[in-house]
Amino acid sequence: MNWIQRYVRPEQVRELILLLLIVVAVIFFGTLINNYYSERTFNRIASSVTVIAIMAVGQTLVVLTRNIDLSVGSIAGCTAYFVGTLLANNNDLHPLLAVLIAVGLGAGLGAINGVLVAFARVPSIIVTLGTLAIFRGLLVDLSGAKTVTTDSLPLWLVDLPRLNFVTLGEFDIRALFMIAVAMVIIFQLATSYLKIGRQFYAVGSNPDAAILIGLPMRRVIFIAFVLCGALAGLAGFVTLARFGNITVEAARGMELAVVAAVVVGGVNIFGGSGTVVGALLGAVLIGILEQSLFRLQISEFWRDALLGLLILLAVASDAVILQRLKALWVRGELKRIAAPTPETEPGVPKT
Amino acid sequence: MSDRGPAHSESSAASGIAPSVPVLAVRNIAKRFGATQALEDVSLELFPGEVHALLGENGAGKSTLIKIITGVHQPDRGEMQIDGKPVVIGGAAEAQRLGVAAIYQEPLLFPDLDVAENIFVSHQDRGEVIRWGKLHRDAEAILAELGVAIDVRSAARGLTFAAQQSVEIAKAISLKVRILIMDEPTASLSAHEVAQLFRLVRELRAKGVAILLVSHRIEEVFEIADKVTVFRDGRLISTRKRADATTRGAIADMVGREMGLLEPRSATTRGEKLLSVAGLGREGKFRDVSFDLHRGEVLGFAGLIGAGRTDIGLALFGIEPATSGTIMLNGKPVVVKTPRQGMDLKIAYVSEDRRQLGLSMPQSISSNITLPILKRYLNRFWLIRGSQERATAEIFRKRLAIRTATVDLAVSKLSGGNQQKVMLSKWLNTKPDVLILDEPTRGIDVGAKAEVHAMIGELAAEGIGIILISSDLPEVLMMSDRVLVMREGRQMAIFDRADANQESVMTAAMGQSLSQAIGGVVA
Amino acid sequence: MTFLDRLRSWEGLLLAVLIAIVVMNVMRSPYYLGVGNIVNLFQLSIEKVILALIMTLIIVNGEIDLSVASIMGLAACVLAFLFQAGVPMPVAIVVALLSGLAAGLFNGFWIAYVGLPSLAVTLAGLIGYRGVARIFVEDRAIGGFPDWFNTLGQQPIVGSLTVSILIFVILFIVIAITLHSSAFGRLVYVIGNNAQAARYSGVRVKLVKMALFAASGTVAALAGILYAARLGSVRGDMATGFELDVITMVLLGGVSIFGGSGTIVGVGLSILVILNIRNGMGLASITGNTQTSVIGALLILSVLAPNITQAVTLKFKGRKT
Repeated sequence: MNWIQRYVRPEQVRELILLLLIVVAVIFFGTLINNYYSERTFNRIASSVTVIAIMAVGQTLVVLTRNIDLSVGSIAGCTAYFVGTLLANNNDLHPLLAVLIAVGLGAGLGAINGVLVAFARVPSIIVTLGTLAIFRGLLVDLSGAKTVTTDSLPLWLVDLPRLNFVTLGEFDIRALFMIAVAMVIIFQLATSYLKIGRQFYAVGSNPDAAILIGLPMRRVIFIAFVLCGALAGLAGFVTLARFGNITVEAARGMELAVVAAVVVGGVNIFGGSGTVVGALLGAVLIGILEQSLFRLQISEFWRDALLGLLILLAVASDAVILQRLKALWVRGELKRIAAPTPETEPGVPKT
Repeated sequence: MSDRGPAHSESSAASGIAPSVPVLAVRNIAKRFGATQALEDVSLELFPGEVHALLGENGAGKSTLIKIITGVHQPDRGEMQIDGKPVVIGGAAEAQRLGVAAIYQEPLLFPDLDVAENIFVSHQDRGEVIRWGKLHRDAEAILAELGVAIDVRSAARGLTFAAQQSVEIAKAISLKVRILIMDEPTASLSAHEVAQLFRLVRELRAKGVAILLVSHRIEEVFEIADKVTVFRDGRLISTRKRADATTRGAIADMVGREMGLLEPRSATTRGEKLLSVAGLGREGKFRDVSFDLHRGEVLGFAGLIGAGRTDIGLALFGIEPATSGTIMLNGKPVVVKTPRQGMDLKIAYVSEDRRQLGLSMPQSISSNITLPILKRYLNRFWLIRGSQERATAEIFRKRLAIRTATVDLAVSKLSGGNQQKVMLSKWLNTKPDVLILDEPTRGIDVGAKAEVHAMIGELAAEGIGIILISSDLPEVLMMSDRVLVMREGRQMAIFDRADANQESVMTAAMGQSLSQAIGGVVA
Repeated sequence: MTFLDRLRSWEGLLLAVLIAIVVMNVMRSPYYLGVGNIVNLFQLSIEKVILALIMTLIIVNGEIDLSVASIMGLAACVLAFLFQAGVPMPVAIVVALLSGLAAGLFNGFWIAYVGLPSLAVTLAGLIGYRGVARIFVEDRAIGGFPDWFNTLGQQPIVGSLTVSILIFVILFIVIAITLHSSAFGRLVYVIGNNAQAARYSGVRVKLVKMALFAASGTVAALAGILYAARLGSVRGDMATGFELDVITMVLLGGVSIFGGSGTIVGVGLSILVILNIRNGMGLASITGNTQTSVIGALLILSVLAPNITQAVTLKFKGRKT
């Protein structure tokens, strides 16, 4: 037991459970649905997970700092629409430039959130509730309620969703999906090995301490919001590529699915713990449920009811089971500390 | 305070080699907050290799000085010098660069990060990429140097208070600290843990670190400090070498008048048996606790932090009910599973933690006082009769001398001592038979402390049975008729007043003889 | 902070803003202050306004209920489903109210007794109850309710006041008294400030929280029924996103998102401000989406403005000494 305690933390148990749940779900649906284990299923799930996973990565960073960003749906909608319009009017725009514009626009909108939360000290739930409405409202006003249509977009973009990154056996791994995977890997590494990454955890874990020991709290929170916005911008670009037809309603309500993925993925809503990989697993589990229920012809209307229950169970298991587990862990550790070593025994001070 | 134990000779030796250039000099500092002059014309010198203690009542200006030195506040006037050169400390990062570090009463750790990360979290020079192997090795090296055995990979969440303090000290050392400020570092530590902490402090001193120590525990200050400075009303009153200072003189400087040390409470006549507890226990907290409490009696609960004293109080009041044993009240067996039941049985529990567990800070004095029995202040439409509420609060304002212009004032605006009086009022208003006081004088100033002690005496004389839980051993000994000693969740002894002294109580609390245990911490 | 102090601060500011807006609107349209227009003003947002009252209690208590709009949808869908199945309308109304109560109790159970954060629980509720609502009506629109039911939403009962507005007025008075003069209201504040201290004072914290969420669910169901009556038909996605407007009304009213402070007077004023801004912008033919942006900006400003004022005062004071 000891080595398990040493190398597996309660937070990781959560991710293992999620992985197990995903496997169980796949096996379960596999027995119910004919030809479930196919490329089609995989690609359907992968493409539905892509957008949410990219946004969930950014949301994780924000939630780690004990904040929340409810404006991501509006940011993604804005970037999808504006980059779409740009490309429709200017088919020769370099693809990379288009992506950069999307990311930059997202980052800019995220920076507005960041300034208000980090520097003006308005609670993030208020700021992002506000910008959720403001960004969407600006989009509707500035667009004049016009629509971006697929046939106005350059060909490379229209073909992008079917572009393969690599083919493994009969499975085609789509390039768009790989963007999501790349983001997860990059940010998982960044949050584990970069100073700024660890500061996200520190700031959320104990904000008072962060201020008193002089961590650049405002900068850390600001960066989290900018990155979250940038990733929402990227997700907006992927949405544009995936659907082609973009109205001012694009990605509306997406923030709920994203927060759901993050919470199900074991990121503590009060900051300080959780991982980017966990958020991806959360998004994947939700994606599997969504697509499989659809295939089962169990009316899609059950989907949301189940999703709500899933979130509740995720949070409840966090609070009830994991807390108990953590207590056990701690007790084990205390025992190790309490084990008498010559140095810790109180002795007569050396005189 | 004649016998200060063997630690003494060592510290005198250390102070003997103090060099003549102060590492930190504060000159004519003044600071004002609104209408309050927090600091006025304060000058202080701190030398390498010395422990300099700051004493003073709450609001005397110690904390403000610390916050100025650590860069949290900027002084209105005056200057600071480090190594003889004038400096302006603009913030925590700058203080750190100058070799200034602070350890607070509450350890400032990140519960979700591991111990090694916590030690190095504020380092500027370790690069942008974290090398975990090196991080853990470096942390282990520092902890080993300190002689502390803590797993550097374990999360800070769940470390004991003492272990957290050790991590804080490791953090300071890793930053090559030259000036270490310790703000009430022992407030939540047991005597045993204080001894360990002081061992570390002595090691730092031997390495030439200058230490500024703030503490309310005067005994401790005289145990470890080389110099003692007393603050009062924002002014520096005196700075003395420890050899020239006395506790009595220090207290006189603090309160501005000669004042006796703790006077023993004059014993009241013991009335009929009120509460009888047999074999009481709660899983994982304490077990097999048996005692009687009589009317007019003060029963002291002594023991180290975490010995289970507070847990007994919580069980009797019903917040964390007992899982075994019986409670008899006035000869009848009773069940207490919720605080409501506890209150119905005329039991009151005054929590040790005013801020978190005691008061609703933004609300008025009167609404805090009436909260537990709000029902009695309602008219038949379930609406609150404000005038009646205020009348009650006024009675207590006079009786306990709560210093406030009006009982409509928010509790947050009161000093710690007056907040404690509001807490007491709140529970006295329930007219309890059994009053459980948990650390009633922690963190309040000497004057307020004396008032609370007088109040305890009065209440006992009125026939209330009082359980006094306190980590302040002299307080327990002076106030109690009998002393129950807990150790690691078990009842070790009950001493009558005649048999209760520091030696006997500490021996029972530590499970070993006093001199062997701590080498003179509790002199 | 006494009542007068508050009036001088946030509520006073709201009042000034309100007067300014009304004056501007009156200058635009002389009929603005007519009874008909004012009734209309309320009538168009009456469900949100009713929800804001109960949300005030929840937020003062230090919690949040994101699921109110979904419970509105749920109750309306239950009502429509039962009506279509041939259940008499009064029975359907009672069952719909009970469904809201059940949803509120379900929220309350997880928050009060299991101790989960309300943000997470009611987020799950937001998604989940909407899902349940959709199970009942799927993608249909159910209408054809009895006439008496359809007129419930619009028919003036007393003078030119409709049932909905009467309910709002009664609820406003009841909640104002509850929050500011009753024992329950005192407990709501104490818990919002310091739930632990309340527990240590023998306050039944769990019961209070449970009662609040149950009330919130029931009132949300009532609002859902009124909404169904006003629209004359029910769809699965009705009232989607209302929670944002409701929370904005409460927070703009000076209620702290962290709980423990705020007054119903403030919320009442903020409701009037929002309604008049929307109406005024409508008069100036500004679209609904811009209106929403403006409300969003107001929400942020409501917290930002005091922060900035404070910072500026501190700087100023700092310079003086």
